[in-house]
Formats: sequence, C-alpha cells, structure tokens
Amino acid sequence: MTSTPPTGTRPTDGAPEAWRGRARRAMTWASAAGAALALAAAAVAWSWSGELPAEAASHWSGSGVPDGFSTPSSLVLLCTALALGLVALFCAIGTLAGSAASTRRIAAAGSVWSGGFAGGLLLVTLAPQRGLDDASQVGLSAGAMALVLVAPLVPAVVAAMLVPGDPVLAAAAPVPSDAPRVAVRDGERVVWLRRATGGPGLAVGAVSILVTVALAVVTQTWGMLVVPVLLAGLFVAMFAFSVRVDGSGLTVRSVAGWPGTHVPAAEVLAASVVHVSPFREFGGWGWRVGSGGRVGVVLRQGEGLLVERSGGRSLVVTVDDAATAAALLNTAAERAR
Amino acid sequence: MMWRIDPGGDEPLYAQLVTQVRLAVAHGELRPGERLPAARELAASLDLNMHTVLRAYQLLRDDGVVELRRGRGAMVAARQPADLTAVERAIADLVDAARRAHLSTETTTTLVKEAMHR
Repeated sequence: MTSTPPTGTRPTDGAPEAWRGRARRAMTWASAAGAALALAAAAVAWSWSGELPAEAASHWSGSGVPDGFSTPSSLVLLCTALALGLVALFCAIGTLAGSAASTRRIAAAGSVWSGGFAGGLLLVTLAPQRGLDDASQVGLSAGAMALVLVAPLVPAVVAAMLVPGDPVLAAAAPVPSDAPRVAVRDGERVVWLRRATGGPGLAVGAVSILVTVALAVVTQTWGMLVVPVLLAGLFVAMFAFSVRVDGSGLTVRSVAGWPGTHVPAAEVLAASVVHVSPFREFGGWGWRVGSGGRVGVVLRQGEGLLVERSGGRSLVVTVDDAATAAALLNTAAERAR
Repeated sequence: MMWRIDPGGDEPLYAQLVTQVRLAVAHGELRPGERLPAARELAASLDLNMHTVLRAYQLLRDDGVVELRRGRGAMVAARQPADLTAVERAIADLVDAARRAHLSTETTTTLVKEAMHR
C-alpha cells in the first residue's frame, strides 16, 4: 500500500537515522587513530625531556632565529591539546553530520591528519634542540615544516578509504505528487547535461596561491612552496563540476575527474530548485558539508538543485536550469520505484 | 540542456539531435559561445554510437550553428545563420500564387531568378 504524503512536507523515508551507527563506528576509530598519532609524538617528545633546554624555542617568524620560548613540557601539552581539539572537532562533524559517506570520509581523514600534523609539529620543533643548553640560535627547517603538512596526508587518505561507503538504500515513499516532472515517452532516452561553474572560487584560489608563493619567496622558505602546490591541486579539483541527470539518477563530478558522486534514481525521494548562499549555508565554496549533514557542491550564489535522498541524506548543486534537472530526476526516481 | 532521443521515432537519430540543438539556439537556451557536451559523453548518456553524435555535430557545423575546434569540442557559433522564417513564409505565398496562376515550377523559378538579378 502506498499513500501520497501531504504537500509541503519534507519527504522522509524509512531509515533516516540508520547512518548514525555507521558514523559513530567510523568516527570512533578515526578519532582513536588521530589521537594515537598525537599521543605517540608526545611520548617521544617526553622521552627527550632530559636532553632539552629548560626554555625551548617554540616560535619563529621568518628571521631564522626563534622569537618565542616555552618549557618543553608546556610545548608537549600545547601540541597535544591542539591535536585533541581538532580530533574532537572532526569527530563532532562526522558523528553529527555524517549522514553521507563522503562527509564521514572527510571527517575521518581530517581527524587523522590533525593528529599527525600536531604530533609532527611537536617533533620537528623539539628534535633539533636535543642536547642544547641554549635554544636562542636554533632554526626551524622549512623542509621539515613542509613534511609535517604533507606526510599526514598519507594516513589521512588511507583512513578515508577505510570508511565504508553508503549501502544501497532504495527510497520507499513515492515521489511527492506536487514535485515537477517531465513527460517522457516509453522507449525515449533523456539526459540533462550542464556544467556547474562560476562564483568567487577562481579569484579566491588565485589570490591564496599568489600570497602563499609570495610568502615562501620573501621568507626564502622554499619548502613552504608545498602549500601553494596543495592549494592549486585543491582548486583544480573544485572549480568546475559536470552535472548529469538521466534514467540512472544524478551524477556530479569534478571536471578534473575527482571528486564526484552518483545518486541512484532509486534513492531519490524528491528533487527541487532552491536558492543557495554558499557562504551562509556552507561556510565557503566547493565541496562542502552544511547544517544537518547536507552535502553541497556550491560554487556560486543563486539557483541550485536540491536532492532529498534516502537515509536522511541530501545534496545541493549550484547549477543553472535546475528546474529542468529536478523535473527529470523526479521522473527518473518515479520510474525506479 | 535536456537531450531526448526516441529510437522509435520517424526521424533518424542524428537528425533528432540536430533539431534539438537548432531549437535550443533559437529559444536562447543555448547561447553563442556555449559548449556542447563532448560527443563521447553525450553518446554514452543517450546510449548512442559516438559517430551518430559526431554526424549531428558536423551537420550543425555545415549549417553554421556550431563551430568545431580540435580539442575544444563543439561550441555554439557566435554569429548564427540568418533567420529564414520570413523567406519561407514569402515562398509559401509565392507557391500559392503561382499555382493559382497555373504557372509551372520552371516558369516560377525563372521569374524568381530574373527578380534576383534585377
């Protein structure tokens, strides 16, 4: 037996909370891994305590010699607290908003990277000061700093890959009767193709890359050029997405090939057109997570395609002509029931 | 834009694509400079042979609707071919008048040629 839900209500489905168990499991081990990396670094630093100067160098501002000092034990505490704070933040994001596998992967990777980064920061700060009585001339190698930023990406990517994807969860409720549809004849093949582009992403990317290059050049810390390289990779992946709606559902993929996602038509509860404010609703541009775990591929302000998906998930893409895409996706969803 | 293919339709598949692009350009749905989907992508999405899409794109290029550039795919041409609706309407009127006057096709085209050379 099926019944049409009353108009105007947000479509719901049989298993809107089933993701919470998956999110808790993933975030438990990912947080443990992130914390373990930081605590292992703290233990190593602690074992050096007899060899370190009473006032260890803790801050450099580009001149080559330190301009800030603290006791080794307070440095250990500071870095560990930084790591645990970031791990807790990612754990909260994954647990509270991880309805989509992509969000749980981002949170798990963030947690592991944070633990590795803060732990690495502690070790590269203290390692050159072992056996010194006076830390006033000790340097901080830019290469080591670059390594601290990049090396934790390896366990972070592994963590993201270890997070299981979402199980197939066909929507049970019928597509709302008031949702727009497209007339499609039997045997007719229909596809809607569009590129999601625009917005301030390119300008933000160009400026941040130029600034980080300029900083590395001015301070002659060549190892820090790794930052603009990472940023460039990020912006290439995020500045344009191809969006496709056909009988199989919705496919959103970066023109660089990654990242991307596919929403099978059978998992679509309803598709509609919404107005999107990337900064207000998602805190920025690109592939984002918004309130309630809504995944956003948001590049510019304005018209967007909203897809309510089974399992309490939803996805927003800022794209022109979203009304046609929504109607075709509703039609595909209805045929997939 | 939305692309439709009806394999059961009377029109050949490539011609269905050509018609849709022409209509989308005429309605302003596709704007000059806008890029059409890569032939491979469109063919895969509509379960067509890639040559069917390429044939449609080539016909559209021959008619001046799109420009094909190596490596950049098909783009809607900046200057669209002239609007022929007024001419077509006048021809329909001319054919009606010629039939009423019992003129042969040859006589009518001769009259048109003479008028064009004036």
